[in-house]
Amino acid sequence: MLTVPSVTPDAISELSAREMRRAMARRWLFRFSVLIGWVAFIVVWYFFSRVVFNPRQLPEPHVVAAESWTIITEQDFRTHMQASLFRVLAGFLLAAVVSCGLGWLIAYNAWWRTLLRTIVQFTVSTPIVALAILTLVVFGVSSLGPVITTAVVATPYIMMNVAQGLTGVDRRLIVMSESFGRTRSQIITGVLLPSSLISVLAGARLAFAVAWRMELLTEIFAASEGVGFQIRRSFESYDVRGMIAWTVLYIAVMLIFENLVFRQIERRLQGRTA
Amino acid sequence: MATVLIENLTKIYPPTITYPHRVQALGGVNMSVTGNVFVAVLGPSGSGKTTLLNIVAGVETPTSGSVRAVQDGVPAQVGYVFQEPRLLPWRTVLNNMLYVQDRKSDRSRREAEFYLTMVGLNEVAHLYPSQLSAGMQQRVGIARAFLVNPDILLMDEPFSHMDALTGRSLREYLQRVWLHTRKTALFVTHDVSEAVELADRIVMLRPGGVVFDDIPVNLPRPRHPDDPAVRAVEGEVLRRFDSMEAAVRFGAQAG
Ligand SMILES: Nc1ncnc2c1ncn2[C@@H]1O[C@H](COP(=O)(O)OP(=O)(O)OP(=O)(O)O)[C@@H](O)[C@H]1O
Ligand SMILES: [Mg+2]
Repeated sequence: MLTVPSVTPDAISELSAREMRRAMARRWLFRFSVLIGWVAFIVVWYFFSRVVFNPRQLPEPHVVAAESWTIITEQDFRTHMQASLFRVLAGFLLAAVVSCGLGWLIAYNAWWRTLLRTIVQFTVSTPIVALAILTLVVFGVSSLGPVITTAVVATPYIMMNVAQGLTGVDRRLIVMSESFGRTRSQIITGVLLPSSLISVLAGARLAFAVAWRMELLTEIFAASEGVGFQIRRSFESYDVRGMIAWTVLYIAVMLIFENLVFRQIERRLQGRTA
Repeated sequence: MATVLIENLTKIYPPTITYPHRVQALGGVNMSVTGNVFVAVLGPSGSGKTTLLNIVAGVETPTSGSVRAVQDGVPAQVGYVFQEPRLLPWRTVLNNMLYVQDRKSDRSRREAEFYLTMVGLNEVAHLYPSQLSAGMQQRVGIARAFLVNPDILLMDEPFSHMDALTGRSLREYLQRVWLHTRKTALFVTHDVSEAVELADRIVMLRPGGVVFDDIPVNLPRPRHPDDPAVRAVEGEVLRRFDSMEAAVRFGAQAG
């Protein structure tokens, strides 16, 4: 019952060639606007450091770039970045694992749902600076503190989205699976997981962004290495250049990470749902 | 040989927050189906037809009574075609077929392709459900039910969401596949002409989930909806339907 349109192959290839050209043009336009965005950002930066403040308060972009290069080549950039990266990832993974269990409870158990929602409201509305200081009080200067606090702050985002994903699962697909004799684990991997994936991924992305910021903040208070610690050291010695350079490097690594991991996963998933 | 034996089956749904009353979906259904027959279960909306199929399929538990679906003494494998296609949107048509199979081999793949060809869809096996029309999706649903080599085939108003033309061509597909396999079939519908066109026997349910009538349909196959003989049986079934309606109304007045 496939219908074949009554147009010639030539006409089709002509049509698709034109569509290809349009798609290419759109892609370049998109890249171009990204470039313009960056240029505008740098121009605004120059404007602020020269006109609004002065270069000693807010160093110019090329100065920060040079400083960043010095940090990468001459200081122990790798040690500190690795320390921070490790803590972010550890905290994030811890949050992800805990979230799956708690999200499941929220989705399927009314009592846990009420309890955990209350806790979430409480944690989400707690200022993160307070949490960072609390980390220092509870864990002292250690690696464990930032990891735990990062996990605590990131958990609600993944957890709520896991729950949302699970409650959004089409019950009828589960009934279908059961009627065809699928096992519990087959239903989990075949229906529950893929159908909540989009929602879980959105939550994970949000949680990741929060984890980066939380981790940096706890390091400022409660660490003896890591990017946050370096920023504090620069601050204590009135080294604005170093502070901004470390921040910029941190953001750069975070953006690269985001693009490598989440964008790629999302790209793979596109077109597979709904 | 497959047998479905339904004895004194009742199903009462407990009250819910949104509807705080008990609902009697089935009120003591007795029926038995044996062998390579196509049975239509005909009844108005809310007469418990879906509930009945779900209990036979084992995805719903009865309140009382019993259902036995067996094939040569062992529990029968059922294939279920639902009111809507119920395909996994993140899997291609072919992978939707493979999802219901236990072993993933070349052979199971060929079987999947065989039934897709049977419903005229082998060319779109690599597409996702959202890329198919509703009628094509439902055909995948039919092919999937046949693919598990079911002893008993359950179908719940599979064409009720379709427009008349699509429904008509899908009934043809179904007849063709069914004549090829001749599985024991329980086909739920509220469409009289559909029931007469497809079934060897029509079991009529009335609201409250009680069997009201059981009508044999002895017409040669394949049948055509415009055939005068088919029309005549349709008329007869409709007359009995009217008498059922009258009985229900009379009962309501008396009570
Ligand atoms: N999960 C449920 N919880 C509560 N009540 C239900 C549930 N499923 C069905 N019912 C009720 O049971 C009765 C029979 O429902 P059922 O879906 O079996 O009817 P049906 O004959 O399939 O109707 P239709 O032709 O509209 O599909 C209805 O009154 C319905 O409201
Ligand atoms: Mg129904």
